[in-house]
Amino acid sequence: MQSQLTTVPGMRSEVFAPTTPPPVWTPVTKPLRESRVAFATAGGIHLKSQVPFNPAGDFSIREIPSDTPSSELMVTHGGYDNSDVNKDVNAMLPIDRLRELAAEGYIGSLAPVLVGFMGGGGNVEKFRNETGPSIARIFKNEEVDLVVLTAG
Amino acid sequence: MAQREIEKAGIPTIIIAALPPVVKQQGSPRYVAPRVPMGANAGAPNDKAMQTAILKDTLNCLMEFDHFGQNKPLPYEYKHN
Repeated sequence: MQSQLTTVPGMRSEVFAPTTPPPVWTPVTKPLRESRVAFATAGGIHLKSQVPFNPAGDFSIREIPSDTPSSELMVTHGGYDNSDVNKDVNAMLPIDRLRELAAEGYIGSLAPVLVGFMGGGGNVEKFRNETGPSIARIFKNEEVDLVVLTAG
Repeated sequence: MAQREIEKAGIPTIIIAALPPVVKQQGSPRYVAPRVPMGANAGAPNDKAMQTAILKDTLNCLMEFDHFGQNKPLPYEYKHN
């Protein structure tokens, strides 16, 4: 029970005070070696053949087939130093490592489509109400059991 | 933020974060934090051993973590230049 700090209902600080959102939790139900694993990165990774992200702010997503050679991937993201990804895209989207883990049986399988988007700002409402749910929809359709992300 | 929507849709998720305080503030359900700069979250470029180790540790944490917000620093370090 929150103690009464004010007599005015709904009163908020005039100073912006960030709050942590409520917990979300889905329990793991299968062992790794039986799980289909997907990957999403907020690092602005996309196929060289796809339309680049708009570095000024972009809430769209790029579907990346998981059999894409890493040499066909690139980065468009204005919010961080891209030099490591330019040397090796696996630093942000470890697509070669994921295929190796699937081949050795460490994970059950790799999802057919992985996702790149451009995080780090932009329209928060759009990310929460559109970008996030559309990524979730892709992975639900692929019957994915676990998702790993690189972000933040 | 995208992580929370995937988790809400019923798929367990984990983030590999270069800036753990940021993902914590945004309500990440599970995260790990190797000592890397943003842009090399999954390990140093062309360092296959580090990338494999980070990915395996991350997947193992995803299996083991049992409560919201649980996190772990990972013992891998990489700096630019």
